[in-house]
Amino acid sequence: MTLQECGEIEINVEHDIAIARRAVRDIAAELGFGVTETARIVTAASELGRNVHKYAGGGVMRWRALNKNERNGLELSFEDHGPGIADVDEAMREGHTTGGGLGMGLPGAKRLMDEMEINSAPGTGTTVIVRKWRR
Amino acid sequence: MHSPKRPEGIAETITVTKVREVLLVTMPSDPDDPTICALQEKTLEAMDQHTVTGLVLDLTRVEILDSYFARTVAETAQMVELMGGETIIAGMRPAVAITATELGVSLGRTRTALNVDRALDMVGRARHPKPRRRA
Repeated sequence: MTLQECGEIEINVEHDIAIARRAVRDIAAELGFGVTETARIVTAASELGRNVHKYAGGGVMRWRALNKNERNGLELSFEDHGPGIADVDEAMREGHTTGGGLGMGLPGAKRLMDEMEINSAPGTGTTVIVRKWRR
Repeated sequence: MHSPKRPEGIAETITVTKVREVLLVTMPSDPDDPTICALQEKTLEAMDQHTVTGLVLDLTRVEILDSYFARTVAETAQMVELMGGETIIAGMRPAVAITATELGVSLGRTRTALNVDRALDMVGRARHPKPRRRA
């Protein structure tokens, strides 16, 4: 089986979060991530996918297989055109929430992944990129 | 591949079975948000319909526990307690326990067991002698 190098999944309704999660699980497993690493990636995808649905009403998850310095990895990008995050540092703080959640979405996802970048501005939307490298 | 691909569209539902004095609630491997949301209602309705001393929530098949899922489980356990029962969470996989902890989720004071067998032994123990709600 040859793996496609990249792809995207739209997140519009609640069930799409589960579809994105299942896709990420299959991609991570095919890229050779172990059971626990796959669980970390899938959990982060679930948190970030839910943010897209909950705060922006929808968006897209793009994924890309990475190969750099003979290391393999997976990059996930969650893009929406929602209200955006006014204060990214504040949103990254433990316990911060505006959506009635536990406020662990962004910092929790960061802990589960190796790298995280957030690009956001009020009114233009939010892009959260996370990466995980194979050990 | 670490887990076989499931065909999309097959409904993954919660099963509720009465085993002697206990309700055994089994979660599917990757429930979507509406399915997780149904956990509370299904569980509390079953509590109301049957005379049971407690509830064993079987997570043996569950592959990830994100913040929404964990919050729903903790809240359900709290509601079951208000109705006079006890919840024991059983069979959490190692990868799920590691990931949930790193994400930062907590199940509150809910008791846990390695598997369903042990959980069934625990229900009703170390509690009031007859925690039945109705004669």
